[in-house]
Amino acid sequence: MNTLLRLTVANMKSLVRDRAALFWTFFFPVMFVLLFGVLFSGSGDSKVSVGFVDQDGTAVSTQVHQAFAAVPILSLQTGTLDDEKAAMQRGDVSAVIVIPKGLGEAVGKSMAGQKASSALQLYVDLSKSQTTQVIQGIVTQITNGFNLQLAGGSAVVGVDQQTLQSTNISTVAYLVPSILAMALMQLGVFAAVPLVQQREKGILKRIGATPLARWKLVGSNVLLRLVVAAVDAVLILGIGIAVFNVQIVGNVLAIGGLVFLGAGAFLALGFMLASFLKTEEQATGVVQVVQMPLMFLSGIFFPFDFMPSFLRTVARFLPLTYLGDALRQVMVNGTQIAPLGVDVAILAGWLVVCLAISARSFSWE
Amino acid sequence: MTQDGEPVIGVANLCKCYGDVKAVDGVSFTVGRGEVFGMLGPNGAGKTTTIEILEGLREPDSGAVTVFGMDVTRHAPSIKQRIGVQLQTVSLYPRLTVTELLDLFGSFYEHRLPTKQLIDAVDLGERARARSMNLSGGQQQRLSIALALVNDPELIFLDEPTTGLDPQARRSLWDLVKGLQARGKSVMLTTHYMEEAAELCDRVAIMDHGHILEMGTVPELIGRRFKERAVFFDTTPMLPADQLGKLQGVTRAAQEDGQTVLYSSDVAGTIGTLLALADDLKVEPHNLGIRQATLEDVFLDLTGRALRD
Ligand SMILES: Nc1ncnc2c1ncn2[C@@H]1O[C@H](COP(=O)(O)OP(=O)(O)O)[C@@H](O)[C@H]1O
Ligand SMILES: [Mg+2]
Repeated sequence: MNTLLRLTVANMKSLVRDRAALFWTFFFPVMFVLLFGVLFSGSGDSKVSVGFVDQDGTAVSTQVHQAFAAVPILSLQTGTLDDEKAAMQRGDVSAVIVIPKGLGEAVGKSMAGQKASSALQLYVDLSKSQTTQVIQGIVTQITNGFNLQLAGGSAVVGVDQQTLQSTNISTVAYLVPSILAMALMQLGVFAAVPLVQQREKGILKRIGATPLARWKLVGSNVLLRLVVAAVDAVLILGIGIAVFNVQIVGNVLAIGGLVFLGAGAFLALGFMLASFLKTEEQATGVVQVVQMPLMFLSGIFFPFDFMPSFLRTVARFLPLTYLGDALRQVMVNGTQIAPLGVDVAILAGWLVVCLAISARSFSWE
Repeated sequence: MTQDGEPVIGVANLCKCYGDVKAVDGVSFTVGRGEVFGMLGPNGAGKTTTIEILEGLREPDSGAVTVFGMDVTRHAPSIKQRIGVQLQTVSLYPRLTVTELLDLFGSFYEHRLPTKQLIDAVDLGERARARSMNLSGGQQQRLSIALALVNDPELIFLDEPTTGLDPQARRSLWDLVKGLQARGKSVMLTTHYMEEAAELCDRVAIMDHGHILEMGTVPELIGRRFKERAVFFDTTPMLPADQLGKLQGVTRAAQEDGQTVLYSSDVAGTIGTLLALADDLKVEPHNLGIRQATLEDVFLDLTGRALRD
């Protein structure tokens, strides 16, 4: 067997025999998918409760009510505005849709050719960003449908159905690429720990005293992490597809390419960290300090548009934002933060810069 | 023992600085084929720096350093094929087993010994499936030697192979090194135990502050400074110094810490005439003894410090 492969296998054995490393590289992301998947999809009764307030009481408003009632994932609860707002504050409903007085009248006028408009009011809870996103999507689709109908367009029921279905998927579907991005980030950043450990123990130096070429030592570490990346991707996507019915649209090559690019970019970050850390304790600490903010400030778990603007600014500087964005675009047709080409360029740039710094600063002993 | 043919190691005027610290400052020596050569010196003497330059792990600042007649900086890859290395710190993948480690390291070389043979050579048969992290200090050190032997090297470097080991583990390691020598291997080792140097090495270089102070076989090193052995006893005014100096074989008489020390080239004669004199004067010399000079005395004499300070 080739020495590169042997060394990779040795590193792999070291990894799977290390409980803590095993937990972070495999179980943690799997747990995440399962947890979020159960929270956001569930089986059957994953309906979103929404308060519905009809202040208009016309035939038109009844029609609107029926349109919302027909949405499979919504469970409507009607009442007065005050009741429903109170229910939302208690957490009984996730949003409140209000049909203001005058909607029927406005529709009547507009059908008679006069200028008139009225707006549905939507109360949402920003702390439930996932749900909010879903409901906003639904409301937009339904109002668009009505407007189209009023403007003399064709029947819209079919269109609604289709859109609603994909909106339904998007809660978990949004998360699966995000969790994959998180896992890739972690496997790269955490790679710093065994590297620092091997240097501290003098293993890197000891291998330097054998005829083994240095590039093979580096290569075996890269190869190991790419294998881990592939395993993580299969696990996470597999669970998403098999357990939570997430539909993956992108092609396998594009997804695979992004997975390896992402793993590579964060592995380069891990190597760079390892260049500046001396002891294993230091490494374990710093790696956490780096990965936590990356995880929470990169907007991988919150839709970008719902983040406060200063967070959005921070997120724009973090590479994980772009890996999450790229994976969502390719895997589930997610709305983009940046064009795919820009995402890829940023990740590739990050990879090159981190590798260059590592190459300059990495010490073998 | 014999130094025939080209030396396996040649070092001339080697210097290596770390900032202001002259870790190795103009060191020269050679090691012949089949020889066990030891560097004896306290911590910080520059032993590890010297040995790691020879192993191709550090760059010399200046000086000519050859192994098997090849320049170490230019021919590192081919030299590495033929040497075995044990570093001062234990450097093993903690979660790999003895067998796995030997297989892995063996795969780095063009030529290698069977893992089973190596395990038997260092007597680790019962721990072959144990992870290196679960081995005792002595076992780890033996595994480390087995790893240094995977490529059946002609020249083996051992950096403080027994530091921190208990006396029994140290003995078993000494036996291993003697076995290597018996098989015609050349060995360069460092140590700060003079017994170890005396027990194992054909030749010893005494090193301090980056310099080699003295070099030769152990009897040579002792003999060069201490031609006589010492007869000593508690000083008493009843035995006058001028008479002691005239005893048979005595070359020099000295007073140290309440003891009288007679350096003598004829210990038996000195003691005989000393006892006769004491009998005449009706005194008895207390705590009478004879002492041979050791490497420790040599080091003390060279530096004014004890080796193990
Ligand atoms: N990598 C290094 N960086 C800076 N100083 C070093 C380094 N290695 C050794 N030294 C210094 O060089 C001197 C010799 O060290 P070393 O060769 O390890 O001695 P020994 O092995 O005899 O204990 C010491 O003063 C030590 O502090
Ligand atoms: Mg040392």
